[in-house]
Parts: sequence; structure tokens; C-alpha cells
Amino acid sequence: MTEQKRTVAIHVPVLARVEGEGALDLRIDNGKIAELRLRIFEPPRFFEKFLEGRHYTEIPDMVARICGICPVAYQVTAAQALEQLFGVELDPWAHAMRRVFYCGEWIQSHSLHIHLLAAPDFFGCNSAIELARIAPDEVRRGLRIQALGNELMDLFGARSVHPVGVRVGGFHGAPAPVRIDAIRDKLRAALPEAEALIRWTAGIAVPQDDQAFVSVAMRHPVDYAIERGQIGASDGLRIGAEAFDDHFSERHEPHSTALFSTYHQQPYLVGPLARLNLNHDRLPERVKALLAEAGLVLPSRNLFHSLVARAVEILLALHEALRLLDGYRLPDSSSVPVTPRAGVAYGCTEAPRGLLWHRYEMDDAGCVVNARIVPPTSQNQGRIEEDLRLSLLAFGLDHPDDALRLHCEQVIRNYDPCISCATHFLRMKVERA
Amino acid sequence: MSGLRILGIGSPSGDDQAGWLTVDALLAGGVQTTADEILIQKLDRPGATLIPLLDGAAWVILIDAMQSHSPVGRIRRFGTEDWPAYRHGLSSHGFGVLDALALARELDSLPCRIDLYGIEIGSANPGEPARNEIHAAAQQLARHIAADLSAALPRAIRAPDSIPTVRN
Repeated sequence: MTEQKRTVAIHVPVLARVEGEGALDLRIDNGKIAELRLRIFEPPRFFEKFLEGRHYTEIPDMVARICGICPVAYQVTAAQALEQLFGVELDPWAHAMRRVFYCGEWIQSHSLHIHLLAAPDFFGCNSAIELARIAPDEVRRGLRIQALGNELMDLFGARSVHPVGVRVGGFHGAPAPVRIDAIRDKLRAALPEAEALIRWTAGIAVPQDDQAFVSVAMRHPVDYAIERGQIGASDGLRIGAEAFDDHFSERHEPHSTALFSTYHQQPYLVGPLARLNLNHDRLPERVKALLAEAGLVLPSRNLFHSLVARAVEILLALHEALRLLDGYRLPDSSSVPVTPRAGVAYGCTEAPRGLLWHRYEMDDAGCVVNARIVPPTSQNQGRIEEDLRLSLLAFGLDHPDDALRLHCEQVIRNYDPCISCATHFLRMKVERA
Repeated sequence: MSGLRILGIGSPSGDDQAGWLTVDALLAGGVQTTADEILIQKLDRPGATLIPLLDGAAWVILIDAMQSHSPVGRIRRFGTEDWPAYRHGLSSHGFGVLDALALARELDSLPCRIDLYGIEIGSANPGEPARNEIHAAAQQLARHIAADLSAALPRAIRAPDSIPTVRN
């Protein structure tokens, strides 16, 4: 029996910078996987409990604190859920700018993941710093794209980390046209860079894998679903956010502080590849052409295609932001009046890592009675374990521990889980009998 | 872009405001933000977005909080030779200030001169103010930086002695 441990590489004190940590237990008996568990021991969030009793005006800023990388997803999902309950009809300007705001988050989050977290794996590098030695131009390009996403978030949110721009009823303010003109120039300039990024990611040699799974993502009649649409699945499901509990359930497993979600009692995939699998027909023609050029056949059953899926969504987000900012005008007001009412609010949007679902029971004073939030990482947790098992079998269990660990880390990073996001510090214990 | 950048890194949580307080003290003490060649900014856990801020600068001064089991308020200056030993420090998403600096170095984006200062902190609980030792350290470090600036760029500062002292 051999045992290998890798300790957490980041000292995590009691600071708001903590994103949690994950571990993997793998036991192989007689050449077969006897135990495989992805352990998430990120402390319980209690966010839903914090929200109880809070006035609806506080909710967007509070939920933005759940994640430092995808705060827009939490803000927009909460605001839209409450707006629907309160019967608020947004100005078309606010509708469009919510999507632009969200595009900024997709751009920065995806670029961060591709260049700083995932890509080093495929070049035999331990970090983006090592990757920069062999692909400096690509890393520089990735940082430029990420910075542009942050700038777009800053434009509507006043800051890119935990932005404060969204309110129930619209936005707290509207950016001046001169700032929009400036960012449109930058977005246009980034288009060829994003196209080159797709070609680069499509050219990276990834393991060949073929797994059967259900993709779950939002689906919109016209748009590539980001901030609105129905919940869809690759088996044909189409439901509103309010019907989530009829098809999806959460359960607790002793080895994880995050809940496991299932769809009809089975693991399922959310995130960029699930979205692309379901919605590739909604991509702009130029993006479709690049996909065809890259040779990516959809729907894909290889999770390692998540890398190129993120690159595709970056280009999509740039196109969408440009389209929606074309002819930008200052609205008469950046928000509409809101009158709260009692009831249950449901909302869902597509966070960078996948479907994000919210439910709020509100009283007639506009305060939260109870809240429930289902983030993408908990939805993917069961799928990650299933993927690890299948992927390891395809890879071969007789590899040295280091090779098994690297393969497992690669598989997990495909999902961009928010267990510290950087799972480079994955601790793995291998037992062989 | 300005040739000199002074970047205070932190968060609104307790002592973690050390970098921001140092920037406040510099501004209160007369460092000229209007001078074209100087950019002074507070950053909230910038991660990799720190790198573009280094591009094109000749001199960057970075101030961040640190935890090294030293007395709270101790100030330390880190040379580039110290960076590898501190890479696995406090950070967001596993990518902290020293990771960003190391990546910038690989990308030839480091300025000719980079002064990295750490202020030893205690707790960094959200909603709490920074303790007096942190205020005092920020004032002390601001005076030190102002003296550096005064020597190198006399136009950058009105009166380096004008930074007020804080009594604990």
C-alpha cells in the first residue's frame, strides 16, 4: 500500500479571501477503484440564513459577496427573481445592460480559468507562471481579455470585485456615453484576440474521452441563454425556474460540506460545455464559423472540451456586449419603482460555472422569510465524481501516483469548481491493495 | 500611463486595510495625485489584474498586509529575492500578489524598480476597523515612502513632513 498526500498550498487564515479547499480520496484494490470521493470541506456558507429578515433592497449587494469571481451572477439572479415576484417590468435599457454586465463577468471568469487555472495542465506546467515561459504571448493575451471583462463589470458595477451597480428595478446608475464609446473600442479590438484564443484552445492536445451525461443549461428562444430563459436539459426538459424542485433534488453526503444535486436521481453537467451542447445553434454566425473551423463537434461528450467552450463563450460575450452597446443612450432613469409583495420568488441565470438557481420567500414588507441558493459547483459535484471514475478507468489505473493525481486534477479543473477555484492544491490520498 | 505607481492592496476587513491606510496617509500628507507621472490607487484583492497595472511603469510601490507571526504593525520591505519563499501566502483563488509579481516577471512586465512593503496584521474580520497599531504603521510607512519620493521626485510631494503622526 502506498499513501501520498499533498498539503494545501495556501495558508488560509480567517480572511474574506478564503474560497475553501477540496480533497480527493482514491483507493484502488486489485486494479479496481474501490473508493473515490471528492471531499469539499469549505466551511458552510450560511448565506441563506444571513438573508433572512433582510429587506429586498439589501439582497443584491449581500449575495454579491458569495463569490469574488461571479458576483454578477448572484446579483442578477436575485434581482430578477424579486422583480418577477413584485411584478416589476424593467426598462429595455436595463434588460440589455444586465446582459452586458453579465458578459463582462463571463469574459473575466473564463479568461482567468483558461489561462491561470486550466491551460497549464495541458502544457506540463504547474502554474501560469511556468506556462508564461513557453507561451508568453498567449498568457499576455489572456490577461488583457480578463482585464477587459473586469473593466466591463466595473463600468456597470462601480467595481469589478463585489460590484454594487445592480438594484431591484434596474441599476443604481447609468454609465456616461463617453465611457461606453471607449469600451466599445476596446471590445472591438479584442475580437481578433478572442478568435485567436479559440484557435489556440482548439489546437491544444487534450485527452480523448467519451462519456454519457445529461447537460443542463438555460435555453432561450432567440439568444444564447445567459441571464434569461428556461431551464433545459439534453433529454428535452424545458421548465421554468419555479419547477426546479420537481426535477432536481439536493442531498447531503458526509464527505462534503456542499450539497450534491441530482436530476431525476442522476448526476448531471452544468457549465460552459453543457451550455454549448444545448445552445450552439444560438451562437452568432461568426462564432459558429470558428467552431466549424476548430473542428469541435457538438454536442461533445468529452469534458476536456470545456477549455475551448470557455473560449467560444468569451467571443460570444464580446459580440453580445458590442451588439447591445451599439446605439447606447442614457435612459431617463436607470431603474423603475418597486413595490414589494409577499410570495415566493424564483430565479435562475447562467453563472460562468453553470446554472445558478435562487428561491426567496418574501413577506409583505419586502423582507426575506427564507432563501435557498443552488450554485453550479454543488450541481456538478456528483458529475465530477462520476467523471473521475470513468476518466481514470479510460486513463488506466496502473500509472504512478503522480500521474493519477495530475489526471484527476485536470478532470476536476475542467469544471472550474469554486472550491478555492484553483484546485492546484488538491490533496490526494491513494491506497493500493 | 504614469511612470510611478503607488498601489495599496487590501480589503475592508479590519487590519487588512493596512495598504489602503498607507495610501490615505500619503494623500493626506501631500503626495500629488495630480502630477501626471504618478498614479496612486487602492486595490481590493486584485489577483492577476495587478499585472496590467505594472505595465509601462518605471517605479512601482506596493503595500499589502502580511501575517508572519511578527508583532502587529511591523513593517517589512521585500526584495525580489524574497518572493519565492512567500508565494504561498494569503490570496484570493490561489493567486496572490507575489504570484502576480512572479507572473509579471516572466512576462517582462516588471518595472525597473519595485518596492514591496508588508505591514504585519492581526485579525481581518469583516466590518471591524483596523487597530491602532495598523494606523500607526501606515503613517510610519507613508512617511518613509514620502521621504523616498521627495528624494527621487521632488515635484511629487508638497511637504513630506506634513504626514501627521498617530499616538496609540
